[in-house]
Amino acid sequence: MLINDLVNISFWTGSPDIVYNLIGIVLFVIIVSIIFSVYGYVIGWLERKLIARAQYRHGPTYVGMWGILQNLADLIKLLAKQDLALENADKFLYTVSVPIILALSVFIILILPYSPSLQATNLGFGLIIAFTIISFLPLLMFTSGFATGNKFADISAQRSVLILISYEVPTLIVVAGIAMLSGSYSFQGIIQAQASNFYFAALMPIGLIIFFITMLAEFERPPFDLREADNELIAGWLTDYSSPYYALSLFIDYARMFLGSVLIAILFFGGWLGPILPPIVWLLLKAFIISLFIIMIRATAFRMRIDRILRLGWLWLVPLSLINLIITYIVFVGLPT
Amino acid sequence: MALTRINIGPVHPSTHGVIHLVVDIDGDTIADVEPHIGFLHRGVEKLTETRMYMQNPPYMEKLDYIAPMSYNEAYVAAVESAMGIEVKERAQYIRVILLELQRIASHLLSVGLLCNDLGQMFTGFMWTFKDRDLVLDLLQEAAGSRMFYVNMRLGGLNRDLPPDFADHANETLNYLEKRVTEYENYIEKSPIFTERMKGVGFMSPEEAKNLGVTGPVLRGSGVDYDVRKNNPYYVYEKLHFSTKVLHEGDNFARYKVRMLEMKESIRLVRTALRMLPDGDALGMPVKLRSPNPVNRIATVNRELPRGEVYMYLVADPQKPYRLSMRSPNFINLAALKHITRGQRIADLFAIMGSLDLVMGCVDR
Amino acid sequence: MKVDREKLTSTISSMKGKGYDYLVKITAVDYVDHIDAIYILRDMEAKKDETLEVTLNPKDLWLPTIIDSHKSADWYEREMSEMFGIEIRGRRALRLLLEKWDGTDPPLRKTFQWYAPYNTANPKK
Repeated sequence: MLINDLVNISFWTGSPDIVYNLIGIVLFVIIVSIIFSVYGYVIGWLERKLIARAQYRHGPTYVGMWGILQNLADLIKLLAKQDLALENADKFLYTVSVPIILALSVFIILILPYSPSLQATNLGFGLIIAFTIISFLPLLMFTSGFATGNKFADISAQRSVLILISYEVPTLIVVAGIAMLSGSYSFQGIIQAQASNFYFAALMPIGLIIFFITMLAEFERPPFDLREADNELIAGWLTDYSSPYYALSLFIDYARMFLGSVLIAILFFGGWLGPILPPIVWLLLKAFIISLFIIMIRATAFRMRIDRILRLGWLWLVPLSLINLIITYIVFVGLPT
Repeated sequence: MALTRINIGPVHPSTHGVIHLVVDIDGDTIADVEPHIGFLHRGVEKLTETRMYMQNPPYMEKLDYIAPMSYNEAYVAAVESAMGIEVKERAQYIRVILLELQRIASHLLSVGLLCNDLGQMFTGFMWTFKDRDLVLDLLQEAAGSRMFYVNMRLGGLNRDLPPDFADHANETLNYLEKRVTEYENYIEKSPIFTERMKGVGFMSPEEAKNLGVTGPVLRGSGVDYDVRKNNPYYVYEKLHFSTKVLHEGDNFARYKVRMLEMKESIRLVRTALRMLPDGDALGMPVKLRSPNPVNRIATVNRELPRGEVYMYLVADPQKPYRLSMRSPNFINLAALKHITRGQRIADLFAIMGSLDLVMGCVDR
Repeated sequence: MKVDREKLTSTISSMKGKGYDYLVKITAVDYVDHIDAIYILRDMEAKKDETLEVTLNPKDLWLPTIIDSHKSADWYEREMSEMFGIEIRGRRALRLLLEKWDGTDPPLRKTFQWYAPYNTANPKK
């Protein structure tokens, strides 16, 4: 089973024609990249606009119509800056870790299904691969934070490990509940299970809340953006990254935002399921609404303190996720037929 | 365990000005904070010795640039006290109105910045900043300028209130009263806010007196001292108002004292506007030669938005011989070292925000 | 109220016992022939202020510290010592608080040279 899937991952499915398959792969990657870039760009612009409206401001207005080109202008400005690194930085890790974080985020985006036909391959264990890699991201931030040789980045790195330890557990327990409910580790299987039944958001609301909170924490969104807390830690693990690396970190932000929203949409809101509109539109629409929700939280929430975050994780989220798992088991799986 | 030493400032996103904090941290806990100040030191005390009396008010306004008029008034009052000049009655009322409006403006900014220090994405700051602008509109009507007023003259003011000022002021105050209540709901109902503010940066009444803190910081620690009440000046005695004292002594109490004071100031301005007598409010026109002082030493203390300022003026003819100011922010900052020990590093900025520091006033 | 500097510490601690437990300000005034150090204490309940003056000879400038009875005296003493060149005895060496100078010309003394001799030939000196 496992070996079969690993062979599948090389995309040599269906037709024996290698060239035909390669063209298919390249097309898929291009389509998904365009989707996620456009989505990320629109969300990045909307984030500025919406938060500005929440604060009686106008947000960007000058560059392009309604300031839509502002983020592009910022990107060009960042790339035009000098690239500096501290003398005591670990040059290899400093250079490598931010691109790797971006690459891994994009990799997870590429193994997600976007419609019944638009997907790389139907991985039998896609859920496990996705969450394994997501658990790796804070670890990489930890290494990149240490690699810069900055004390603020060090503190931020320590915090990211603390959050990694305490928030991985509830995430994976909730994911286990989803796998149990759908009887499958593949995203396709999860969506099919929701097609024949209610959405999982209705079946396990506690699980949805826990998963949403842990996703906020894992992807450094407020009120859990401790690693990047700009009040005390300036820019967290990004403090000493400049020019191209900082620009890449913006991509990472939008990639993770997209990833988190799409994951929640697939796992809890039935992915592309919906009437009339084409499946991909439904998926993006659901993800978009979730992203807006995340942005509005950013506009209003105060930042939590690290000890409170850990207390929330261990005292509330872990027990609640276990309760959620047990309830799910008893109600939907364990009942004898 | 070995301590890590981090340098916060002089350039840092949340230090409210130019200050350098050398912080020793043990993990995430603060072991010691050593503030290094003086980046904005302009030697104003020495500068005043070389200028004529009425050349000095512009310098005074640049000290506390969040509440410039209050500082200016304290200086002019010290000069008036040295020269034995009585302030006209209408001018006294107008001064009280303007000072209380200044207090509201300053506290609004302070509350907004506190939200910012607690990691909010500028929303609270922008909201209070917008409302502060309305107060500045009123001050502009009355004094002719938005930021640096220089409107105090010996014995009065540079101009009388415009005829429709009372209507405008009442309109704005009604709106502000609604908004302040809204802020209270909006901020205090956030569990993260109360969690991070309550019990943090504790200062007992004895400690507060020993550390010499003033203003809302002192009253937040349960010491009932307000210069407006305990050593009343102008017409504060006739305007019935109460000082706001809370006994918790933590960040939340200091924030809450400012909130309550804003409401009290709104009430005070309304009463003063109602009781405003007719008459003349203009002071002496500014000339280089001012009357000769009758007292050699004049001391004046005033309740600024951030605490008590104590002006010690040794008067020469035409020039101050020595002007010594007790800056409220200076002594509040000195207390920072004592109340942050053992707190989390994230709380350092919450505590700084609750002390409400203005570096121009610290460094003088 | 005039106080001798030898009795300053005991006076302030006995006044603290009598209710003057709040230190408003420590400052000094340079009268050229003598320097007055001024301590302003406050009794908050009785709403009274008390000013203590210590007259110092410019040739013999030192004061005892009062940091034991008032913690707030810490920064005031540092400021006064920096601005007037008054040595504070009984506490650890004082780091400059507000300014950077070489310690020869205290800024708030009347002898302060406003325009320091500036070496145009070698501006770095």
